[in-house]
Amino acid sequence: METVLMDNLWVIIGTFLVFLMLGGFILLEAGSTRMKNAGHIAGKTIFTAGIGSLMFWAIGWGFIYGEGNWFIGLSDFFYGDASFSGEGLSPAVDFMFQMMFALVAMTIAFGGFAERAKLSAYVIFAVLFSAVIYPVVAHWIWGGGWLADHGKQDFAGSTVVHLTGAMAALAATIVLKPRIGKYNKDGSSNDLAGHNQVYTALGVLLLWVGWFGFNGASTFEVADAFFGFVMLNTQLAAAGGAVSAMLVAYVWTGKADVPTTLNGALAGLVAITAPAGFVAPWAAVIIGLIGGVIVVYSMKLFDRAKIDDPIFALSVHGTVGVWGTLANGLFAVPAFSTEIGWGQAGLFYGGGFTQLGVQTVGVVASGLYAFVVALIILKVMDKMMGGIRVSEEEEIVGLDLSEHGGYGYPENIPHPEEQRGA
Amino acid sequence: MNSYGKIRDWRQTYIKDVSTDHDKLNRFHDEVIAATVECAMNYVQRERGDPPAPFAFFLMGSAGRFEQSVFSDQDHGIIFDGSQEFENYFLTLGKEIAEGLEVVGYQLCDGKVMASNPLWCQSLSSWNQQVTDWLTEANWTSLRHFSTFFDSRVLIGEERFLEEIKKEALTIIHSRPELFIRLVENVDFIKKGVGVFGQLLPGAHGEQSGKIHVKQTTFFPYVNAMRLLALKEGILAPSTLTRFEKIKADYPSLHRFEGYFMKLLDFRLRFQQEVESYDQAHLIAMEQLTKEDKKELKLFMKKGYELFSDTKKMIDNECSAWS
Repeated sequence: METVLMDNLWVIIGTFLVFLMLGGFILLEAGSTRMKNAGHIAGKTIFTAGIGSLMFWAIGWGFIYGEGNWFIGLSDFFYGDASFSGEGLSPAVDFMFQMMFALVAMTIAFGGFAERAKLSAYVIFAVLFSAVIYPVVAHWIWGGGWLADHGKQDFAGSTVVHLTGAMAALAATIVLKPRIGKYNKDGSSNDLAGHNQVYTALGVLLLWVGWFGFNGASTFEVADAFFGFVMLNTQLAAAGGAVSAMLVAYVWTGKADVPTTLNGALAGLVAITAPAGFVAPWAAVIIGLIGGVIVVYSMKLFDRAKIDDPIFALSVHGTVGVWGTLANGLFAVPAFSTEIGWGQAGLFYGGGFTQLGVQTVGVVASGLYAFVVALIILKVMDKMMGGIRVSEEEEIVGLDLSEHGGYGYPENIPHPEEQRGA
Repeated sequence: MNSYGKIRDWRQTYIKDVSTDHDKLNRFHDEVIAATVECAMNYVQRERGDPPAPFAFFLMGSAGRFEQSVFSDQDHGIIFDGSQEFENYFLTLGKEIAEGLEVVGYQLCDGKVMASNPLWCQSLSSWNQQVTDWLTEANWTSLRHFSTFFDSRVLIGEERFLEEIKKEALTIIHSRPELFIRLVENVDFIKKGVGVFGQLLPGAHGEQSGKIHVKQTTFFPYVNAMRLLALKEGILAPSTLTRFEKIKADYPSLHRFEGYFMKLLDFRLRFQQEVESYDQAHLIAMEQLTKEDKKELKLFMKKGYELFSDTKKMIDNECSAWS
């Protein structure tokens, strides 16, 4: 009994840590964008966390874990269960932990909205993302859907959380189009630098710590203290990502670019999310190092493709998330896969291409679903709402003022009404 | 020529004829600027009468060094004899010159290094005091001002005024060798043009996207190294090539860099033929460069870094032996 309660306590600690990641996203996103939008970014993150929580309670959990079919669950709506069987996690503990993952995925998706979407677009998309995008992918992989029995290895939700969020963000950046001033007529891009690198760095650090809950508590138990090993891999990959991204930026551009380094650390964390409990520490280092390299080139590729991704959500959570998931197919060790009945060992451990194939199918199916459904929803919203993007004037004045009526830094930006004149 | 419009037309008509020859181009710039200044002097004379004192109109920056490319901005100043009470007249003249040069085709200086600015238009005694103050303060801004000032030559007027200030400055610097270290530090940051793997590093964003900033990455190391040695050896001439010639005897090991700088001047002009504004004057697009051009540009950069680094070491050694 004591161990069971410790399991529950450990997962609830993980719940706190994952929820605190939203604080990391606030700092990351606000720091990476301009100060005229900072209050809006902070406020909408909290507000949409509210919407997401209510939606998850009302239908999200039911769509994921309810009794249903290969596509979706269809019971346990308006969830509330105080029972505890004495085995495993209590339903409420499990529910809370799962809810946090849904909120993180939604917050990642909103990275693609940054600095130009109407507040009303956030509200409606928060509802729809929490209802028909995230729960469907989560059901497929975690809730007994059609991908659940394929043996896909995704330790903490690289595909369900990060890829789903990133693909919705990609759809949003496509529908919203680039921010004013991002691209020049000759096709070159401008650096709309974030207003506070310290915020961004603190955001990364908060996310990094939160990731110990994200990956560590995904053991769902304290048995063998395996969570320590998972955290070790997490730390090593993040470290590798930070180092390699800075080196690549330096070699490529001659500058040890700070935002790139920070994205490298995040890339390491995203990359290790799927393999955290499947690979050896040396492999975690390699996975992180490669993640840090990939993120730099991915950022450049999106920029060249004129996809304006203000906080690099597509590269960090999307491109690198795919790499991390596929990395299982290369590095998964037999002791944590074949021998415990969770998929096959990776290519480098004699597992052949089987696991790599399974990982690929999972990524392609989930990514495609999230992207297509998000694109349809956002296109329809765009038509019905007279555009999901604020007007040019509102974008220039900043979303703090246009969407909320006051600046996040009121002392530093003169209020337009105070600029009186003839 | 009695109007800025006519001078502008003259400039536009003939600049193409000289735009591929560094020496001819700079002599032409001198003629155009001198004609503009004379035109401005006539305008001011008509309104305010004759200049109240003898004066010198001098050029700084690339014009001062006789290293302008096709497009250039303005960098100039005035030194007048007598008391500071004549300032008003010469500032009016400075303003007229700046406006005239802008009409003719020389963009106003962003940093306001122009005779229309009281900082760069003063009496001889005030100039002497100001340069002494710059060297005494020896902070980032004051040494920047001093370096700008030292790359100068008189275009119209009393050459001895500028010479007197420069000589006074050299006396101060040579009495305080630690100033050399500060002057080196002041220009020590060089924008990287070549990466770790020897690849060119073009800008990533905005108007510099995909382009090499040839002034900051390639020219500055040569120009700054030669200025430092000119200060060291008491050479008053502002041109980098002349400075190379004059230090030849004392620094034979550095003479090998002169050829690269001469080629660099021609190289830059080769890519200036299509440029249409000053904003583009220092940028070369990667796509314009052939494989051979890239190799050559990288060589200029590497040799420039080498020259600057050698110069730094020599100054460090000499100054530490000195003090």
